[in-house]
Amino acid sequence: MHWLHSSRRLVLLPLLLLSLAVLLIRESAHAETCLSPFVKRLDGPEKLLYVFCVDADGKDNDFLAVIDVQPESPKYGEIIYQLDLGSAGNETHHFGYTDDRTHIWGCSLFSSKIFIIDVATKPEQPKVVKIIEDIPGKTGFTAPHSPYALPGRMLLSFLGAKDGGLPAGLAEFNNDGSFIRRIDQPKEAPYGYDVAVKPDLNRMVTSSFTPLNNYKKPMAQMDFKNFGKELVFWDFRERKPIQTLTAGLAPLECRWSLKENANHGFTNCALDDAIWVWEGDKEGKYGVRKLCATGKLPADLRQSPDDRFLYVSCFGSNDIQQWDVSDLKNPKLASTIVPGVHPNMMHVTGDGKRMYITNSLLSTLDRASTFWVRLAHIGPDGMKMDPFFHVDLTKLKTGPARGHDMLLR
Amino acid sequence: MICSLASIFLSLTAEPAASRLAVIQQAPAFALTTQEGKPLKSADLQGQVLLVSFIFTTCSGSCPATTSRLVQVQQELARQGQLKDGRVRLLSITLDPARDTPEKLRDYLKLYDADPASWTALTGTADEVAKVVKDWGMWAKPIANGQLDHPSRIFLVDPQGRVREIYHLGFLKPSWVVEDVRLLLSEKQ
Repeated sequence: MHWLHSSRRLVLLPLLLLSLAVLLIRESAHAETCLSPFVKRLDGPEKLLYVFCVDADGKDNDFLAVIDVQPESPKYGEIIYQLDLGSAGNETHHFGYTDDRTHIWGCSLFSSKIFIIDVATKPEQPKVVKIIEDIPGKTGFTAPHSPYALPGRMLLSFLGAKDGGLPAGLAEFNNDGSFIRRIDQPKEAPYGYDVAVKPDLNRMVTSSFTPLNNYKKPMAQMDFKNFGKELVFWDFRERKPIQTLTAGLAPLECRWSLKENANHGFTNCALDDAIWVWEGDKEGKYGVRKLCATGKLPADLRQSPDDRFLYVSCFGSNDIQQWDVSDLKNPKLASTIVPGVHPNMMHVTGDGKRMYITNSLLSTLDRASTFWVRLAHIGPDGMKMDPFFHVDLTKLKTGPARGHDMLLR
Repeated sequence: MICSLASIFLSLTAEPAASRLAVIQQAPAFALTTQEGKPLKSADLQGQVLLVSFIFTTCSGSCPATTSRLVQVQQELARQGQLKDGRVRLLSITLDPARDTPEKLRDYLKLYDADPASWTALTGTADEVAKVVKDWGMWAKPIANGQLDHPSRIFLVDPQGRVREIYHLGFLKPSWVVEDVRLLLSEKQ
């Protein structure tokens, strides 16, 4: 602080300390996990839950469901609004907030459309403000998967190339939807899936699935040799790949440790029935290894705000497992719940005490005809299903719908 | 002649080949008033690298840390001799024009020991500032205790007036910003 004149120091120091304290409190008190670190965090408990839904038979338009999640509200646990997306058969899939949390970018795996939705003007009645239609023409890719906020713009991972095959890649857009640039993956890692940035380390990681021309087929016809195993580590500021590693088959979600400067993270390898961990060494090299065997087809992976637990939904064996990963050499299964048939997406609240769950993975992979949103409570003795919170997605005016990704407001 | 004019035009408008700092967007134009009460237009700053932040002087949230971190950037740039000939300028645009008069902004810069030789704070009428805030994709919403909620974004603008990076305070490392500024200064104009 030698740069401060002593007369100013008295005024400025408390301001700076307050400023840093405000930031720390904001970031930690309701530190939702598994969002881009650049996204503004909630400053209180959630009031609304947004769910991206596919019309189950693909005949009616896809939509975004708004669910009231204020326990004191008379409409608690009810769908209070459905935002019609204006078209059907998109396979609406993953969601992502812009950095300022005013808009949601919703990605579609069949149509490759990206829906930009205003959730700030009227949060309980969101509105589509733009649909980016020609993604293959703009980027050379199909199937936008993970919309990931950067300051003032969005980074997206894609599952495949323009023709629905390989290679996959990444692209950046301004928050208004204008295209900035595409980012190519290394040749040895042609598959794409998720992306996650660890800005304090200047590192980014991407994972692997399978392209549109494979996952669009019914499950029985899918080529399970046409899935990736690669994790790519990037210099984030350069947007350049620095290392490619082989994990288990189909490493999906990428979750960096939440601790500042912690140089490790986790991925659920869906076709290896396992969670893998990557760890960086002091020389900047990464290694990856199987951390623990899970139930069948681990489809989603979430973190507790204290970085102690991982939650993995096992789509194939109908359970959700909570793993204590505080000791990376000795992970422990802490609790298990069975929310219903094939649970998939989860969303853990900022206080780490609640987890919302949906149960659709992909129209071509779902094997149930019942779809819902449920809630688990998380306490010192693990996860417990809420017996009363049950949003039935089969009794809508347009018939059953498959709920996938969720975000809180 | 036509060829040479075309090549000059292309060199001014084309995205720098393979730069890690992509052209994000054209920086929106503005016309505001400095801490000295003088008018300043964005066109007056053509040819300079700009670091543009949005703050308000009574902020007890992210602004003090933002300005403090940018002072470190300014000092490091000065130490490296990058501020000579007016090649780099830091701009702090108020989000609260009703309270942030030129005099308040002058005091603000003094409080943080920001060197006004390469740092300008800007205000204007409510309409002028609202337009600039909107054009830059920013917003400010009143919350408790007279504070304003607003996104944390610091814009790096190249000498051609194009936004080339946007920083978030949470990950604003002065040494990285200095590297980015030097990269833009080293690009062929």
